[in-house]
Amino acid sequence: MVARASGRDALSRARELALAGLMGALGLLLPIGFHALGWGGQVFLPMHLPVVVAGFLVSPAMAVSLGVVVPFLSSVLTGMPPLASPIAPLMALELAAKAGVASLLYRSLRAPMWLALPVAIVADWAVLALAVSLAAGFFAIRAAPFQYAWAAILIGLPGTILQLVAVPAAVLAIERRVPRLRPTKRDETG
Amino acid sequence: MALAALEVMNLSYSYADSASALRQISFSIAHGERVALLGPNGAGKSTLLWCLVGVLRAEGTIAVDGTVLRPGTEADIRAKLGLAFAEPEDQLFMPTVKRDVTFGLLAAGANSADADRVAEQTIRNVGLPAETLDRAAHELSSGERRRAALASILVMNPVVLALDEPTNSLDARGRASLAGILLQLPCAQLIATHDLESARALCTRALVLVNGALVADAPMAAFLEDTNSLQRYGLIASLRTDDGQTRVL
Amino acid sequence: MPQHLGLYVRRESALHGLDPRAKMLAVTGFIVAVLLAPMHPSWPMGALLLLLVCATALARIPARMMCRRMLSLVVVIGMPFLLSRLGGEATRAAGEQFAARSLLVAAAFLVLMASTRAIVLLEVAERPPLISVFGQLGEFILRGADLLAEEVMRTNRAWALRAPTATIRVRLAGLTQASMSLISRAAARSERIGAAMVLRGFQGKLPTATPTPLPWSHLVAGLIFALISLGIAGVGRWR
Repeated sequence: MVARASGRDALSRARELALAGLMGALGLLLPIGFHALGWGGQVFLPMHLPVVVAGFLVSPAMAVSLGVVVPFLSSVLTGMPPLASPIAPLMALELAAKAGVASLLYRSLRAPMWLALPVAIVADWAVLALAVSLAAGFFAIRAAPFQYAWAAILIGLPGTILQLVAVPAAVLAIERRVPRLRPTKRDETG
Repeated sequence: MALAALEVMNLSYSYADSASALRQISFSIAHGERVALLGPNGAGKSTLLWCLVGVLRAEGTIAVDGTVLRPGTEADIRAKLGLAFAEPEDQLFMPTVKRDVTFGLLAAGANSADADRVAEQTIRNVGLPAETLDRAAHELSSGERRRAALASILVMNPVVLALDEPTNSLDARGRASLAGILLQLPCAQLIATHDLESARALCTRALVLVNGALVADAPMAAFLEDTNSLQRYGLIASLRTDDGQTRVL
Repeated sequence: MPQHLGLYVRRESALHGLDPRAKMLAVTGFIVAVLLAPMHPSWPMGALLLLLVCATALARIPARMMCRRMLSLVVVIGMPFLLSRLGGEATRAAGEQFAARSLLVAAAFLVLMASTRAIVLLEVAERPPLISVFGQLGEFILRGADLLAEEVMRTNRAWALRAPTATIRVRLAGLTQASMSLISRAAARSERIGAAMVLRGFQGKLPTATPTPLPWSHLVAGLIFALISLGIAGVGRWR
């Protein structure tokens, strides 16, 4: 039996779930488009784009959930990233950290975009380095973990630059179109 | 005096960045009555429907079968007043039609077996085979999607059914089929539409909205005979063709 | 299930008809066995591979399709393996382990996904309290992928009709603008979908149907597969 939420809470939650679902869907579809163009998922990080955008529009809990679900769902539906390798779990940790930190800073703490996004990206790198060092023994990766993380960060630098440009533009465009999603506006509707 | 199925009194609403969308609208609909909500584009028909279900918070009073809409009663109102969107895609949000159709029943606490049984009966009532329940929405044609979305609302046995442009993108046969389904429903209906022919076939009364104000509330047959009013309210328009004739659209 | 995504292969087979929970049990046992099985001697890994081939045949998945799907995995998993060849003996051994185990596990998942619709797995995932939010979100993402894939196709067709001879630069600019517009429209659409959910009684959590009981025969079938896998790994390890 589900606890009965108030009318306004239920509507906010429903909208958030729908928004996260659609952004997650873009996280599945964009990598396919990028791979078809031969641009490479690990260079331009197409999965990251919509998930990070969603991080600026939904609550921290939903942002973290989205970051975890999208890579695994992509693995299940498309086989990429492969579930067997550490890539899928590492990507899930990265995205969860990046989207979660973005949401926490931008929506909960009302930090400006120019601060929230770079901090979220740095949080992604930090979590990646930590996770790789912990996972190294489990997956028998003998390469030095920090070198591995550093290599992943460098390879993904074009994607990071793309996020720094595209994410603020997308978030601002969405907030113009749906003013309710601005973090300073209260939900006025039931 | 019997309770009206839907009672609206002095309803007003303004969007944040624009002038009034609805101005002091009052009307009521009796149980079982079918009423057309007519008006040109931008008149406020969809806004009115969104206000009726409490998604947009308007000023004024809205009561459905005696329950007044206020904070705390939204869920009760929405259980009694079903709204079919102009775009059925937006109402088919689950991966399968079955999940969409049983959604309302399961959310209300029905058990799975009962929900499945009612869903199967309802999907047949809207003219779709039971196998439709196992399909995904994207596998359906636009007419089938519209019926599936309608089924997802009808399972809740609403007292009032509000429909936003239900005949959009339907061919003549589809419109006739939908009209046949709606004519058999016992609930009161408020049908926002541009389709005057369907309105004539389905509804006994017409409410006309222009620039957010209710400008007419009249019996359907008489109203549709008044071409001057139809033209004045933007419900029909004249077109001069190449052969010099004036056609009415 | 998304129209344009998915590893599911529509077949009539014993594996397709098996309850997804039993299949997940079988795959879990198989994965544990792959992680436990020794590399030397190599017969346990070979036996597990043979077991997987039998499962693939039971699912009536064409060998060519399976090989094609494995190929992209080989590229991704092969990179760490190739890097490990540059190291010492221990590093090379670790690389071999990683590659062998990863490929077997990946193949097991491919067989599972080829014989089970993703939506069915997500419906199983949405019941346990700790992971239910992931299952629910996954279902929304699946449906969102249907909606957006149709929009993307329409946009592509419109673009092809409007600018059939566009240069790469114009196409890239168009792709960027179309993507931004798609994201923006998706956000606006989520408002309507959220309203639709609430109008149908959504109270904070997606309502779920009562799970059907897991048939005993299916449970036994899944257990047998898991136990055989674990038995192979166990015998190989302790001999």
